[in-house]
Amino acid sequence: MERSDHTKAAILGAGRGGHALLDLLHQIPSIEIVGIADRDPDAPGLQRAREIRVPVSDDVPSLIRTPGLGLIMDVTGDPAMEIYLHAHKPSAADILSGSASRLLWKLIQHESKLEAELLQAEKLAGIGSFASGIAHDINNPLQLILGLAENLIEERDLTAVHEQARDIVEAVKRTSAICRDLTQYSRRASHREEALVSINGKLDEALKIARYASSFHDIEMIKHYQTGAAVKGNPDELLHVLVNLITNAVHAMEQVGGTLTLETKLLNGQVDVRISDTGCGIAPEKIPEIFEPFFTTKAPGKGTGLGLYNVKTIVNKMHGRIAVESELDKGSVFTLTFPNGESTEQGCQS
Amino acid sequence: MSEFKSGFFIGGEACNGRVLVVDDEPDIRKVVKMTLQKAGYEVLEAENGEKAIEVINSGENRLLLDVVICDIRMPKINGAEAIAYFRSNYPHVPLIVLTGFPDTDMATSFLRQGVVDYLVKPVEGEKLRSAVARAMEQRELARL
Repeated sequence: MERSDHTKAAILGAGRGGHALLDLLHQIPSIEIVGIADRDPDAPGLQRAREIRVPVSDDVPSLIRTPGLGLIMDVTGDPAMEIYLHAHKPSAADILSGSASRLLWKLIQHESKLEAELLQAEKLAGIGSFASGIAHDINNPLQLILGLAENLIEERDLTAVHEQARDIVEAVKRTSAICRDLTQYSRRASHREEALVSINGKLDEALKIARYASSFHDIEMIKHYQTGAAVKGNPDELLHVLVNLITNAVHAMEQVGGTLTLETKLLNGQVDVRISDTGCGIAPEKIPEIFEPFFTTKAPGKGTGLGLYNVKTIVNKMHGRIAVESELDKGSVFTLTFPNGESTEQGCQS
Repeated sequence: MSEFKSGFFIGGEACNGRVLVVDDEPDIRKVVKMTLQKAGYEVLEAENGEKAIEVINSGENRLLLDVVICDIRMPKINGAEAIAYFRSNYPHVPLIVLTGFPDTDMATSFLRQGVVDYLVKPVEGEKLRSAVARAMEQRELARL
């Protein structure tokens, strides 16, 4: 089972630095945190560790003797600890302490900032393609409102006046919902805002956004949602993942139409999300490349090539996996597998 | 009788012409119909290009349909495809595009194909009626 890129790490010190390291390392699937230690049982890092189910300890000697331990991160700031570790650490374990630990923290922070920038850039580039969808969805109700209002100037039948006024109110509400949806989607994903998210609710939300990016005409929708499917993650980032996959699926069927199937399943403690289309499919030799940055099959200026790359980054961060099956001219299936958020729909953010 | 150019009657009332409105939004068809009926036009409806082609090919419409007002973004046969069909099979029927999306390239290309007007929603009733009136003049010329 032990893979070469898999590292067991222990964190010593659970103050601000330990807390931050814990949060950052916890996001990296190839790092297993075997424990975090501090003398103070109320240290913030220990509280956080209990929340995310990382073993908590006050016994440094036994923690550093954990079998297979590869990395000890010392952020206690205690010179005595440094001396102790050098004398007693297992030979296979590396020690990162003091300024090296702080540097690592800074680098990881920098990387996560770059990732967030990349995500935002791709999202904003994508919004350009929403223009025709937005124009359609705003100008149609405006036409109705204008036509009815012009008619109301002369209308003498009171019943008709009331009915048309009500139609205007409804049309205005529909139009304002568009701005609400889009401003929410375009905002920068709030930093490390993790929550339990109802995956079914997010899929429906993503569907609304994706309708601006592509024409759903001639596309049949099938939904198979299992109630209670919830995952842990940043709700804005998850929305972005789903919008991306749905938009790709619809684009794959653009010329001929087809069926878009959205499925969620709870199985053996994990949540499966499946997005299938019956579109053009992906050539087998291209499949290994699709998650690479700047890979695109779209015309120059149409796609950033960052869509699936960002999707994969976010899914990994959520401790999930992404798999694709595809056949040319038959369609593609993207399956996301996440650890179960361990909850029902109640208390979920959608 | 000479004041009624098209010269036919519907339900005993004078009719200024028969207009087909093609749009996938029932709200748009309703409000365009309301606007044009006030100016004495008879208005037929179709919800997409496929239905529009059915309407123009059915019975007396082949002869009596005067003007088509067509949206672009629609399911089944979309506006661009429907317009291409009308231009090649019914070149004497003037076409007006009524779309939610202002796009200069698209407008130029439609006008080159012989579309009479490219209107962007929301369009005022007066503007719509005068576009239809201009289209009717063209229709009359084609009858000569």
